[in-house]
Amino acid sequence: MKIGRLPALVRTTTFRLALLHASIFILFSASLLAYLYYETAGHLSRQAEAELNAEFQELSAANRGGFDRLNQAVTERSGARGKFFYLLQDSTGQKSAGDFDFLPAPAPEDQVVDVNFDYEVRNPGGEPVRRSAEGRISRLSGGGVLMVAYDVGQLGEMNRRITEVVWRSAVVGFVLSLIGGVVISRSAAQRAEQLARTAEEVMAGDLTRRAPVDGSGDEFDRLSEQLNAMLNKLERLVISSRSAGDSIAHDLRSPLTRLRNRLEGGLREDKVDGQRAALTKSIEEVDGVLDTFNAVLRLSRVQAGATGSFRRINVTGITDELAELYQPACEEKNLAFSYRPEGELFVQADRDLIAQALSNLLDNAVKYTPEGGSVTLSVKRLPGGEAEVAVSDSGPGIPPEDRDRAVERFVRLEQSRSLPGSGLGLSLVLAVAEAHRGRLMLDSAGGSPPNTGLAARLILPSA
Amino acid sequence: MKVIVIEDDADAAAFVKRVLGEAGHSVDVCGDGESGLSQARAGDYDALVVDRMLPGIDGLELLKRYRDAGGRAPALFLSALGEVDHRVEGLQAGGDDYLVKPYAPSELVARVEALGRRATGDIPTTRLTVGGLEMDLLARTVHRDGQKIDLQPREFRLLEFLMRHAGQVVTRTMLLEKVWDYHFDPQTNVIDVHVSRLRGKIDKDFEKPLLHTVRGAGYRLEA
Repeated sequence: MKIGRLPALVRTTTFRLALLHASIFILFSASLLAYLYYETAGHLSRQAEAELNAEFQELSAANRGGFDRLNQAVTERSGARGKFFYLLQDSTGQKSAGDFDFLPAPAPEDQVVDVNFDYEVRNPGGEPVRRSAEGRISRLSGGGVLMVAYDVGQLGEMNRRITEVVWRSAVVGFVLSLIGGVVISRSAAQRAEQLARTAEEVMAGDLTRRAPVDGSGDEFDRLSEQLNAMLNKLERLVISSRSAGDSIAHDLRSPLTRLRNRLEGGLREDKVDGQRAALTKSIEEVDGVLDTFNAVLRLSRVQAGATGSFRRINVTGITDELAELYQPACEEKNLAFSYRPEGELFVQADRDLIAQALSNLLDNAVKYTPEGGSVTLSVKRLPGGEAEVAVSDSGPGIPPEDRDRAVERFVRLEQSRSLPGSGLGLSLVLAVAEAHRGRLMLDSAGGSPPNTGLAARLILPSA
Repeated sequence: MKVIVIEDDADAAAFVKRVLGEAGHSVDVCGDGESGLSQARAGDYDALVVDRMLPGIDGLELLKRYRDAGGRAPALFLSALGEVDHRVEGLQAGGDDYLVKPYAPSELVARVEALGRRATGDIPTTRLTVGGLEMDLLARTVHRDGQKIDLQPREFRLLEFLMRHAGQVVTRTMLLEKVWDYHFDPQTNVIDVHVSRLRGKIDKDFEKPLLHTVRGAGYRLEA
């Protein structure tokens, strides 16, 4: 681990959490170790004390039988070389019995005291060794003094070792949990770093980059998956807007080329009339280009949901007006126009957007249906309560395989290329349908020959 | 008509001034909201042409203050593409009409002139007359040279609008907006067909045509 990275590491949330966990771990293990200590070393001390009490009690019982009885008991016990050692003094302070030679503390006047003291013994090699002992001194009723003590050397050694083990465990545990925390923190930081790097690379322009998913299903995996889903959508949008941009450029190149030729032609004209004619034609071309721009802008705004004031309106009210608006245009082209409304049908909609969409469908029907054909505008309520507005005609229709493509921006199908249009009409209808949470369905109108005629159905949720 | 144009884009302002000037109107130009407002208040204008986006106070605010201060001249908002949705806001702020850039010069002239007519013709009328054509707004009847002409309700409204703007050019978009109350562009000639049907009824049997087609602009009803 590089030292320079440590401060950044310390700042990470994961590291702080690791530190917190380490502290909690320490606290927990400290209590555990304390309990352990109490149950081991503490237990040994308590046991020794209990034995001392028992010993004292037995000797006190002997004392009640007289000093000599006591003297005898002490002598027997000293001879047994048990755990305890004894000192019995008579009332003058002279040693009367026992295997110990001095009182480590002055004897109390009329009670019992507990003492801790050091004393020297000679080891088998004859050298003096300091030992520790604990004991009890009692003034006897006859004036004598009795001390019973035991060597704590062995016990003390055990206590020390247990204490040492406890402390070492605490230190090792702390260090280990810190290291663990750092490792965990580093691995989390690395995954976050990978995400950040992916985002950086995407921002730098490489839209194909994706965040790594290791299949563990953890939070980072979920985050990566979400990020990748977002990037997929972003990539699709960028590609589609890029291709729309290409289409716009492509679509505008021909009128702009024509415009340039007209202007150049006008420049070569000597007569004012000729120049005027060239300018008039040029303005028409520019108007066409502007119309395309307007259509693109309107479409984008509808798709972005940035337009429209939605309120509860009767869709039949709109179709009544559109039928009246379009009937003369149909008759003018010798098309039989029929209108089939069905009572009031309320939808949550923007009146102008719906009218624009239906007008696009009616425009198409009038434009593509050959003279002598028919155009029908109908409104009905579907079983699910939705409102369906359909425009069907007896024109050439759209082959089933082309129907999905027909609603894409700037797509103009083979049959329609010779007629004026921007290739945005049906895209706008679809956008309007989607802005209303509705659908656009393109079907054959069921004319003959089969698959001819187009039935465009705009389906809107009822309100 | 005396018109003030409040528009910060100097080219656009010069264009409006030229177009309206050529149509015979006197035009003052102002480049920002503050001075535009004070000039509009001070001068006795027949119409205001206001850009939506202005430095200082914007077009909406300008017109609100103008109306609050008692200004009564009708106003036309000019707005860039994409602000089409703000039409309603514009009308609520006291605007009388709304034109989206870019627009054809004829459209601008037609709309400004329609504004001027509205301002002067405040008195409610029950009868409109153009040449030998007479419209009774109460009885909903139309006569030409004493001969009764039967019209469908929509044809009646169409003719009424044309008669109220007699002598002026009205564009197809204006007709769709004012007669049908729709704000979109139909691609086919739906409006033309309606106008030609109306023409068939009011002009067909008479020697002198009243309803004229203005090439590249729209229609004009004139004796």
